[in-house]
Amino acid sequence: MSMIKENYLLSMLESELTDAVGRDYVSTNAADQLGHSIDYYWIPEMWHDRGRENPKPDFIVHPSSAEEVAKVMKIANNYKIPVTPWGGGSGSQGGALPMYGGIILDTKRMNKVLAIDTASLTVTVETGINTQHLEWAVEKVGFSTMHFPASIACATLGGFLAHRGTGVLSTKYGKIEDMVMSLEMVTPTGEIINTLPVPRHASGPDLTMLYLGSEGTLGVITKVTMKIHPVPEARKFHAFLFKNMHEAMVAGANIMRSRLRPCVIRLYDEPETARLIKRVLGIDKQGAYLVFGFDGPEKIVDLELEQACAICRRQEHEDLGTELGQAWWDHRYKFFYPPYMFHLPQAFGTLDTVATFDNIENVYWAMKNAVKDNFPEAAFIGHYSHWYEWGCMLYARFIVDTPPQDPQEATLYYNKIWNSAIRAAMREGGVINEHHGVGLKLGRLMKELYGPAFNVLGSIKKVLDPNNIMNPGKMGFER
Amino acid sequence: MNIENFQDTINACRFCFMCRHLSAVGNVTFRESDTPRGRALLTGKMQQNIKNLPPDYIDTFYRAELSAANRFHCVSHYDEAGLILAARRDIVEAGLAPENVKTLAAELQKANFKVEGSGSMLYYVDLYSDKANAPKDCKIISGGDTGKALEVLGFVKEAETVWTKFQTAVKASGCQTVVTSCPASYDMMKKRLDSVKVLHIAEFIEGKRGSGSVYYLDSDYLKNYNDNMTAPRDLLKKLGYELKPFGTNGEESYSAGEGAVIYDKLNPELTAKLCERIAELADNPAIDILVTASPYTRSVLNKYVPQLKVLLLDEVAAKGVK
Ligand SMILES: Cc1cc2nc3c(=O)[nH]c(=O)nc-3n(C[C@H](O)[C@H](O)[C@H](O)COP(=O)(O)OP(=O)(O)OC[C@H]3O[C@@H](n4cnc5c(N)ncnc54)[C@H](O)[C@@H]3O)c2cc1C
Ligand code: SF4
Repeated sequence: MSMIKENYLLSMLESELTDAVGRDYVSTNAADQLGHSIDYYWIPEMWHDRGRENPKPDFIVHPSSAEEVAKVMKIANNYKIPVTPWGGGSGSQGGALPMYGGIILDTKRMNKVLAIDTASLTVTVETGINTQHLEWAVEKVGFSTMHFPASIACATLGGFLAHRGTGVLSTKYGKIEDMVMSLEMVTPTGEIINTLPVPRHASGPDLTMLYLGSEGTLGVITKVTMKIHPVPEARKFHAFLFKNMHEAMVAGANIMRSRLRPCVIRLYDEPETARLIKRVLGIDKQGAYLVFGFDGPEKIVDLELEQACAICRRQEHEDLGTELGQAWWDHRYKFFYPPYMFHLPQAFGTLDTVATFDNIENVYWAMKNAVKDNFPEAAFIGHYSHWYEWGCMLYARFIVDTPPQDPQEATLYYNKIWNSAIRAAMREGGVINEHHGVGLKLGRLMKELYGPAFNVLGSIKKVLDPNNIMNPGKMGFER
Repeated sequence: MNIENFQDTINACRFCFMCRHLSAVGNVTFRESDTPRGRALLTGKMQQNIKNLPPDYIDTFYRAELSAANRFHCVSHYDEAGLILAARRDIVEAGLAPENVKTLAAELQKANFKVEGSGSMLYYVDLYSDKANAPKDCKIISGGDTGKALEVLGFVKEAETVWTKFQTAVKASGCQTVVTSCPASYDMMKKRLDSVKVLHIAEFIEGKRGSGSVYYLDSDYLKNYNDNMTAPRDLLKKLGYELKPFGTNGEESYSAGEGAVIYDKLNPELTAKLCERIAELADNPAIDILVTASPYTRSVLNKYVPQLKVLLLDEVAAKGVK
């Protein structure tokens, strides 16, 4: 499906791209093309597993600066060929896949920490940096980004900005969009622009927020200034087991409604407690596992922890204590390493959504019933990862042990599960996604989610990207 | 195929991103293929059709620095480094080794070992070490690589022949202990020399006392292949040095390709980039004293980033840091 045919036009383009970013940083290498044809989305993985070819880029470029990105954009506009930004490729929505060939703009070479402002507690950094590398660099001078996603080592900062990603401490420190001060962007037509230097202002609509979550469809985010934080004196955890998810939800929501400020709350439904908590933490108990943590000055942490425990004890509970809370924190990434993670030949997906406390349990049951009723062969497990004053995020998963063998059939089957689960969530006040984004996977549902408001997004896209070169096929935008 | 012995690793790594931040080559080329995930994807394709393996795939396998930092980090320690060695073996067995690799292999096969001097212990002088730095009162064995480099290139039969020559020479020396400064050779000997004790120099030398602070750069073969982070550090501490943590973390490989034994001979440009990254991560490149246990690492850092002051553990013990 590549837009560029096998002829000397390819070489003409390669010359221009080489001129823009340097010989070493333009690749038509078959090994790189394979690596860039599969991200963390199940469908390309399955397609590869079944011996099929995924759509590949014609070129992979690694610019080192916003100026070089701008040059690439101008070339792509001139030839009207697709440009798909790629950070770490760890996105689970197929967002970075080069569906129509063209150029993969890999951002990883833009990986410099430019400044750490210890008066304002901010870091200014290029967006291709691996987030673990960023965290290490900030820790080296005594601070932390407090952005601890399970994919901290997998992804780039730009990927999180593009997907409105989140880390495990989001309940206190926020999602990525709460951490950003300002951005530098290269627009689809190759202009380098900056958003306002501070996030709180009344100087017109917030341009920063327009770009956060745009998933490479509105340009490339090249630089960001983010908040950083002092390393807290103490961070402590406590875990409880409740007889069911509802009891645990009441406890969790009460903690949030009390306006205590946990850095994390995580609540696992009964099936996930039985399946994953048992496997990873060795806690072999029936019920719903709830863990929370607080950080900051030790005296305050102890006080808050005590208050939160008192709130939990109001529900029927088993107190698992601090050790089984700490164990969860210590092993929080282990869930994501093979063989703990689900893997092929299983079909699996993270149906993450978010809703108010009023709706969230209905969303859970609607999704679960949609999966169970229509796909009885699928298991459904879930936990609530990110908590707000008004509601929380549901990280539900479906797992099918033996999906259809034929890749086309498997794709259709997979999409059917997604359609029915997400539509069920939307009916109950949920949304398509909370922190993994839309990408290729869920673009078709965007119009249903937004209704007429999607035209606003569509119009913005048309104005900003007149040749429709940026990440075609994603987010539900017209091709 | 040899890679089939690593099926669990192929299956685990091909869709896993969890250790990509430790891909030394990936961190300087920024290429997806230079990560355990990228390489595992290639091996998947290789299983389907080795005869038509694209040259780019082969080149990628030989670009791997084999630090094994990823395996060390991995919760389940999937053997991503072993998988690449197996892929190289398959490439060689299929007659697909690139010309530069074949030339290097031919050179390594010329090894001819000689034992000289006197002493109850034997000191092995590797390709990156100098006889002059051998400890006193040791016999010296030199004349080439032990076969480790050939093995790493995928020439297993040829490696065996060289190793047999080496082993014969060691036995003929009559020494019951062999000491080496080279962690790669240490790894080879430790795993394969039975009835002879094998020591890395860090486990052997006494040294003279010094003072001040130094940064120790872990060796891939000591840390990631032999789980030995303590011997060099203990030695430096015993000698009186304060150890400062290098770079931003203790997980990345800072040995510039030591895991691939003769990486600089195969991939000089990439070696230069690996060295430059180490220089970038130094706190104060102009004044910091970096200590390595690997003659290879010392040699390439001296060559490609001469602004850094890099000393070998043996040298620090013998002469101090001044
Ligand atoms: C094991 C595992 C665990 C995960 N856990 C979490 C988690 O805890 N929290 C979480 O939020 N996510 C998680 N994810 C998902 C994934 O890591 C995130 O979506 C992350 O933001 C993707 O970043 P990336 O650099 O890999 O982006 P990619 O996958 O390369 O790209 C994602 C999207 O962003 C666009 N993009 C990338 N960089 C830029 C840029 N600079 N400018 C504009 N657009 C850009 C791409 O075009 C694409 O649409 C997990 C993934 C894995 C593999
Ligand atoms: S070595 Fe472990 S962490 Fe690294 S890619 Fe393989 S399975 Fe993942």
